[in-house]
Amino acid sequence: MKPLTTARSLAASLALTLALAGCSKPEPDAGLKVYRHSAAGVPTNIDPLQAATVYSNLVVVNAYDTLYRYKYLERPYTLTPNLAAAMPKVSEDGLVYTIPLKESGRYIDSPAFEGGKGRTVTAHDVVFSLKRHFDPENTSQGKWLWAGRIKGMEAWAEAGADYEATVPGLRALDDFTLRVELTAPFPQFVHTLAMGFAAVVPPEAVAAYGRDLGTRAVGSGPYELLEYSKQQVRFQPNPNFREEPLDLEAEGYDPSAHAAYGLADLDGKAPPFVDRLEIDFIQESSARWASFTSGREIQFSGLPVEQTEAVLASKDPITLKPEYAKRYHMESGPEAGLVFTVFNMDDPDIGYHEDPEREARNRELRCAMRDAFDWEARNQRFYSGLGIVFPGVIPPILEEFDASLSRASVAHNPQQARERLKAAGWNEDNLPVLDYGLVSSVLAREMFESFRGRMVDVGIPREKINGETFATFGDYNRALRTSKLSIMGYGWQLDYPDAENVLQLFYGPNASPGSNASNYDNPEYNRLFRQTKTMQPGPERTEIYRRMNRMLIEDCVGIIGLTRSHVSLWHKDVKGLPDTAILGGFWLRFVDVDAATP
Amino acid sequence: MQLGLYLLRRIATGIPLILGVTFISFLLMVYFGPDMTFELVGKNPTAEQIAQVRIQLGYDQPFLVRYWHYLVELATLDLGRSISTGESVRSLLAETVPVSMALTLPGFVLGNLLGIGLALLAAWFRGGWVDRGIMAFSVIGMSISFLIIIIAFQVFFSSRYGINYFPVRGWDMRSLGSYLYYVTVPTLAIVFVSLGYNTRFYRAVFVEEIGRDHIRTARAFGAGPVAILGKYVLKNSLIPIVTRIMFSIPSIVIAGSLLIESYFGIPGVGKLAYDAVTTGDQPVLKAVVGATALLFVVVLILNDMLYRAVDPRVALK
Amino acid sequence: MTDVEAPTQSSGLWSRAWRRLRRDRAGMAALLVVATYFAVACTVWLGLAGQGWSALGADSFAPASAEHWFGTTRNGQDIFARTIYSTRVAFEIGLVVAISSTLLGALFGALSGYFAGSWIDETILWVKGTLDAIPFFLFVVAVAYAVQGHPLAMHFAMIVTFWTTTGRYVRGEVIKLRNMEFVEAARAVGVSQASIIFRHVLPNTTHILLVQATIVFVTAIKAEVILSFLGLGVQDGVSWGLMISQSTNEVTAGFFNNFIAASVAMFMLVMAFNFFADALQDALDPRKVEEAS
Repeated sequence: MKPLTTARSLAASLALTLALAGCSKPEPDAGLKVYRHSAAGVPTNIDPLQAATVYSNLVVVNAYDTLYRYKYLERPYTLTPNLAAAMPKVSEDGLVYTIPLKESGRYIDSPAFEGGKGRTVTAHDVVFSLKRHFDPENTSQGKWLWAGRIKGMEAWAEAGADYEATVPGLRALDDFTLRVELTAPFPQFVHTLAMGFAAVVPPEAVAAYGRDLGTRAVGSGPYELLEYSKQQVRFQPNPNFREEPLDLEAEGYDPSAHAAYGLADLDGKAPPFVDRLEIDFIQESSARWASFTSGREIQFSGLPVEQTEAVLASKDPITLKPEYAKRYHMESGPEAGLVFTVFNMDDPDIGYHEDPEREARNRELRCAMRDAFDWEARNQRFYSGLGIVFPGVIPPILEEFDASLSRASVAHNPQQARERLKAAGWNEDNLPVLDYGLVSSVLAREMFESFRGRMVDVGIPREKINGETFATFGDYNRALRTSKLSIMGYGWQLDYPDAENVLQLFYGPNASPGSNASNYDNPEYNRLFRQTKTMQPGPERTEIYRRMNRMLIEDCVGIIGLTRSHVSLWHKDVKGLPDTAILGGFWLRFVDVDAATP
Repeated sequence: MQLGLYLLRRIATGIPLILGVTFISFLLMVYFGPDMTFELVGKNPTAEQIAQVRIQLGYDQPFLVRYWHYLVELATLDLGRSISTGESVRSLLAETVPVSMALTLPGFVLGNLLGIGLALLAAWFRGGWVDRGIMAFSVIGMSISFLIIIIAFQVFFSSRYGINYFPVRGWDMRSLGSYLYYVTVPTLAIVFVSLGYNTRFYRAVFVEEIGRDHIRTARAFGAGPVAILGKYVLKNSLIPIVTRIMFSIPSIVIAGSLLIESYFGIPGVGKLAYDAVTTGDQPVLKAVVGATALLFVVVLILNDMLYRAVDPRVALK
Repeated sequence: MTDVEAPTQSSGLWSRAWRRLRRDRAGMAALLVVATYFAVACTVWLGLAGQGWSALGADSFAPASAEHWFGTTRNGQDIFARTIYSTRVAFEIGLVVAISSTLLGALFGALSGYFAGSWIDETILWVKGTLDAIPFFLFVVAVAYAVQGHPLAMHFAMIVTFWTTTGRYVRGEVIKLRNMEFVEAARAVGVSQASIIFRHVLPNTTHILLVQATIVFVTAIKAEVILSFLGLGVQDGVSWGLMISQSTNEVTAGFFNNFIAASVAMFMLVMAFNFFADALQDALDPRKVEEAS
């Protein structure tokens, strides 16, 4: 009978499928020393112009050179020369930077170059790469870092962005000396030269590939990009990469802290050490975890929140259960950033108001909402209790962090919230309806429900907190930048380890469409910010930073904040100390694995 | 000659359809869709920079002009580049379409074959317990949401709460072994979710056919089930079967399976299109929608011609 | 009076159909289940049940207990209350979409069928063809964007897509009907076209509309799950779709309560509705009527 035959053959083919699927998955790089890294997001564009995410940076700083990088092991993060031959010589007034370049930087071989051979990297290439950001033909996500700060750059762009024309503030004195002249002192300038945005791109590659540089790379970094896709990138060592033996001591090696990671064997050898570097981009944490624990796939993973209970023996300090400690190395610490919620000060319902009395009542409302919020529960429920709740916006990872601040602004105090509301004359009827913006994801929705639940607990009716859903992050971002919402939660990743990077989030002139989504505009704060902008790091500047920080708390501008902790796990056959903070990626050149098992 | 004229006519009637599809989708996705400006401008943009990016993206031009550009792009197959990655849309499609086809085809074929088989059984034993059993099962199958099936299958096949034998996520077609490794669970999910619908549909077709006089006669004369089902019923039901299969083609080739692809992290065209919608990557979106519309018209024409081949009584209009 | 009485197909058909439906045990059981769900939805509407769906509790991911029958969510919310409250949401979606798309389908189907071959028909067919040629999810996603933030965005998208099938069936039926005697007669005595369409022709397609409405109802509830997973579904509140998408983050960590509660609740309703739709179709099938007599 026909149907039965069909059914039988189907059963047979299904059985075959199952049998074949059991075969081991063939590896493309069999026999080579491969390190397989993983990341939780996707680098959508790997052109240095667009290196705005941690994930793009991961690719960019390995395929391209930057003038400076951070030391492998030293904390707090310390800059060290990369393509530059030494730290810059800075003029007395802090305006002129003279940077010598190594003469040994060489690009990978590529058909883009004459004769297909990679040439030496020169200071002219650095000039070219920075000018690219200001070329009106290009969209750059990193331009804001240098906008208005390099002498003559804007005029150059307006005059038609002719790459032959000289920008007075950005010149190659000779092939290996760069001179930068700033319009005002910018103490964070060298940090920006360690970012993927400042990666050195050869003009030949731009001429040959143009916008295809979003998916391919021609650089002088330690690795050569073999394959790019949204799932994975594969690198091999750049054969032309300069001989630069690893000097553990200079990188900040501390035997008491780093002995277990197998780094001592590598001292004095020139990286890169592996034959292949692969980075898998896996957004779903369950998939990443399955791949990591399978033992045959990725060798590095962050610990997914939902696995916390199963994997950790204790949370403070963070330790692994024995069965995991046997198999994996672990490193943990605070992330370089924070998550927080701000109120829109431009919204007369909750922020500044022409009537000073109402403005004062609005402040009470904001403070009451802050008191009503339960950071501890947020930490336990959404960050498995691994986050660090701290007052103010300067996160603990920064040197300027103020450990002596009162924790009152992050304490859950519903009683005080109710009293504040009552004292300021707020009741169920006269409370304004507030729009809380959220991106339509499961977690964001759950956070919204918990936020609203806390407000309901202190007597703010459910209908007064209106969830405004945005289907994409881009749309949410637009609402944020156009001042459409009253309550906004977001996260900030530090671009460089300096509190200026978070304090600028509340600087008046950075208000929408800038990154100051709270539209906080306090003349005194603005004055202090301008004052510190040109100050060199030191106790004096730190004191002002802390003062600004206290002003933000005093004004109840937001519910701030929490720093998530990262828990990195990697296989025992890997020699290295992964670093995921501060646009991580520089450490990958130093990674090694035990010889490939046959 | 006659065929040529007919083809021309059909293609001409397909044009309003293509215009309709492209216009509506352009209006919705491109005009009202997400705006990429703020993803491209960086952290502290000035109003000028924003305006400049909007010009680069073409947002400043009037709607009809942009629609006209779109039509020209479609006609010349000059699809442009993705805004977010800068990759050419054509190469994006060339990468993703084969993946989607390789992903959905096994499930589609199996789902239809199994559906036809079960439907023949049910139709043959119409009214009996076999029929009622099969029909009850197909209703149950139809009642489970695709998402529930995917989650349940993943838990069962690919997690430590089940047999933990297949990958949760990923895709690799470099060898048969790895292909089967990745395609099995999605295929099972596709078969499961489509089987109920297929069986019901085909059963209705076959019941209709079995009820016809000549088949009743053949049955009365004692022809065996294989002969009747194979020779008459299946053959005479070819038109609805072929039609159903043909009209699934655009969704297999272009739309892919959005849910499967996003849940299993498979780089197919469904995920490409969905990501394009959610990020506002218009060039990609325009290409996917345009291609679907074109393919749909092609299928309409092919289907007409197939009708003719299968059943000569259907004349060319 | 110049009005011509439409044939009373209805009364005979309906009473016969009801008799047959009552004999169909599976169909009646299914109807009972649907009625139970509807009763639950009504108690939620009246504010008698499920009101605590958003209240935060002390324990996250608590297992089932006497206090929380189905356990709690990450935020300590009672999953039982959320499941019950979602019943109401499901009925709202199902009813709004089923009724609106059936009305649209009836209107355009009837116009299209009655004026078959004219430009009206051509235009409607063109719109239908266009809507059918856009991949369903892309279209829904796009509509959801276009009317973003609106709480009815999802409903609107579904209505716009789902009416076409109903329209096609109605058109076919109306083409048959418009050549029947009673329509010819009405036309002959000068009854206006609108009156013919709406008072004589359309009422005779109610059996199709009823069956189609039940099918759309089920489709809408199922589509909600997927749209909510994609972040385009219910915007504020809770629904089975939102519960299931929440569970995607939870099942890998071994917490199944959300998944099971929402899946089972939804599955029972959809299955009952499917069986009921089948029974209804059988009972209303005119050919079956002949067989029976």
